[in-house]
Amino acid sequence: MSRPPPPPPTTNKDQQHQNPSLQEINIKLIQSGEKERLKELLRERLLECGWIDEMKALCRAFTRKKGRNNVTVDDLVHVISPKGRASVPNSVKAELLQRIRAFLASTAD
Amino acid sequence: MCLRSSSYTSPKPCKHLADCKLRHAFDGYDSLQNCLKTTPIGRTRVDNHNTKIPRCNFCNGYLGRLYICLMCSSISCSTHILLHTQSKSGHDVAIDIERSELYCCLCCDQVYDPDFDKVVVSEQIKGSCPGRSNKRRRLDSGMELDLKKSKRLIAMRDGRAKSCYPLGLRGLNNLGNTCFMNSVLQALLHAPPLRNYFLSDHHNRDECKRRYGEKLCLLCEIGALVSAMFSGDRSPYSPAQFLYSWWQHSSNLASYEEQDAHEFFISVLDGIHEKESKVRNSSKDDGDCQCIAHRAFSGSLRSDVTCTICGFTSTTYDPCVDVSLNLDTVNLSAAEKTGLSTLSGCLNLFTRAERLGSDSKLHCQNCQELRDTSKQLSISRLPLVLCLHIKRFEHSLIRKTSRKIDQYLQFPFALDMTPYLSSSIVRSRFGNRIFAFECENSDSSAEYEIFAVIAHSGMLESGHYVTYLHVNHQWYKCDDAWICEVDEGIVRASQCYMLFYVQKLLYYKANKDLSCNASVESR
Repeated sequence: MSRPPPPPPTTNKDQQHQNPSLQEINIKLIQSGEKERLKELLRERLLECGWIDEMKALCRAFTRKKGRNNVTVDDLVHVISPKGRASVPNSVKAELLQRIRAFLASTAD
Repeated sequence: MCLRSSSYTSPKPCKHLADCKLRHAFDGYDSLQNCLKTTPIGRTRVDNHNTKIPRCNFCNGYLGRLYICLMCSSISCSTHILLHTQSKSGHDVAIDIERSELYCCLCCDQVYDPDFDKVVVSEQIKGSCPGRSNKRRRLDSGMELDLKKSKRLIAMRDGRAKSCYPLGLRGLNNLGNTCFMNSVLQALLHAPPLRNYFLSDHHNRDECKRRYGEKLCLLCEIGALVSAMFSGDRSPYSPAQFLYSWWQHSSNLASYEEQDAHEFFISVLDGIHEKESKVRNSSKDDGDCQCIAHRAFSGSLRSDVTCTICGFTSTTYDPCVDVSLNLDTVNLSAAEKTGLSTLSGCLNLFTRAERLGSDSKLHCQNCQELRDTSKQLSISRLPLVLCLHIKRFEHSLIRKTSRKIDQYLQFPFALDMTPYLSSSIVRSRFGNRIFAFECENSDSSAEYEIFAVIAHSGMLESGHYVTYLHVNHQWYKCDDAWICEVDEGIVRASQCYMLFYVQKLLYYKANKDLSCNASVESR
């Protein structure tokens, strides 16, 4: 997954406030408890659209192929993570992004 | 369509976990108790009460899965957890911070320990105290079926059998849009508990007339019907007397219009119950009622309403004689089969936790405020005969229209109801745990076999009902007056409206008894 290069650091304090780093955003989300609520919302949406059932089916198929006693949690995570990330519906992504933006706007200094 | 295994066997701890427990007994778990925090929806995480967010000791990362070592409480991410084990001997087991699940760093896999789960689950329960009904309702499993008597009755009439079909199969004449009645009667009369009850003459018609006079009695009518069906006479029977009696009981439905088979089913059970409660002069609630209708069909549904803010759950139990299911058209899994609706999908939908809208907030006892809630249904007690009703007729009050949903529904012949039991549903709230639920219903089986299917074809106003019966390992189609053998494929492909399952043990016993005494010339 390639992201565009980060913007060059500025000495202008205002600009730094305008573009909080990903880390800062994440910490803000976790400390306020918003991240937990967002995760709950995400779980609900993914359940509704059948994504969770799809992942379960992938896990079952993989386990059947390799044999029940030859599969670890780590294996399953490695196998389904890329497929899982790729198959999240755009509507879900959009909704969560919107929520995060709204949260940041409401807590802006 | 993968059903969860009904045998809940505890996985053995891995070598490393076992060693760890031997060396440190429960040291690791005791300190854990103060560090657990349960969210309202039931996920338990490890919370160190630090203001700082947990980060990996090696890379300072805070994303992905983080583990806290059972021995030294140091935190590592999934990439670096192995480094921690390698650097400190004996530090093999850790806890997934977000999920409160044990992880063995050497096996690279989740491991299970009942003692650990006990600590986690008791912490989760502390937060929410469900209002439990302490009445352990036990099904009267010692039902007096009196099969010996019924065997005799069948054997007596054997000589008159004209065809090779098993006894009890007889067509019912359509008396004017009465296929809704014929289809339900065929299913009811072949439900093992009901069939045996009437064949054993448990409701003696002469005695009933003697005590209550010529007043209408649905039980007498059904008894007469059963006798006629099992008489050995194969010519189609006209249930006119029964129809007349039923009209008197449910006068609001008395007409020559096509009725809803499910509605008819409910009214017949109601009629049986009414008479029974008059006889016994009792007003017992449905759960403990001993009338044949309730003994056969009565089960109990559990409803849990949870406050999404504090997690407080209030539980209520309601008796039911059937389960009405919505079709799972919304939540179809693309990976398994495109566009296929399944019975397990419908049952999953039925038992799914559902967020009630913000416009229907309820008062939470704990918060003392109106709150958003989540509701979840499950089956706390299974009936002997399980009737599943598929809601195909949609009535919209807003648009004042009704329509029929033709969506094909795939259903199994053997059904395991374990995943939909309260014990399973409640257990799943605690996550992936080995935990014995207190009111585990180990005395009654959750395995069912299908014996009847009522299928509907056509449109809402001008449709037709037929019943498929499974008798002696053969499927028969009962289309009003016409009975014929059909292939099981036909049954599977039919548009099911009501499904009738009976507890497996009863099914095999019932079939054994019938086949022993069925006429000699049967295939």
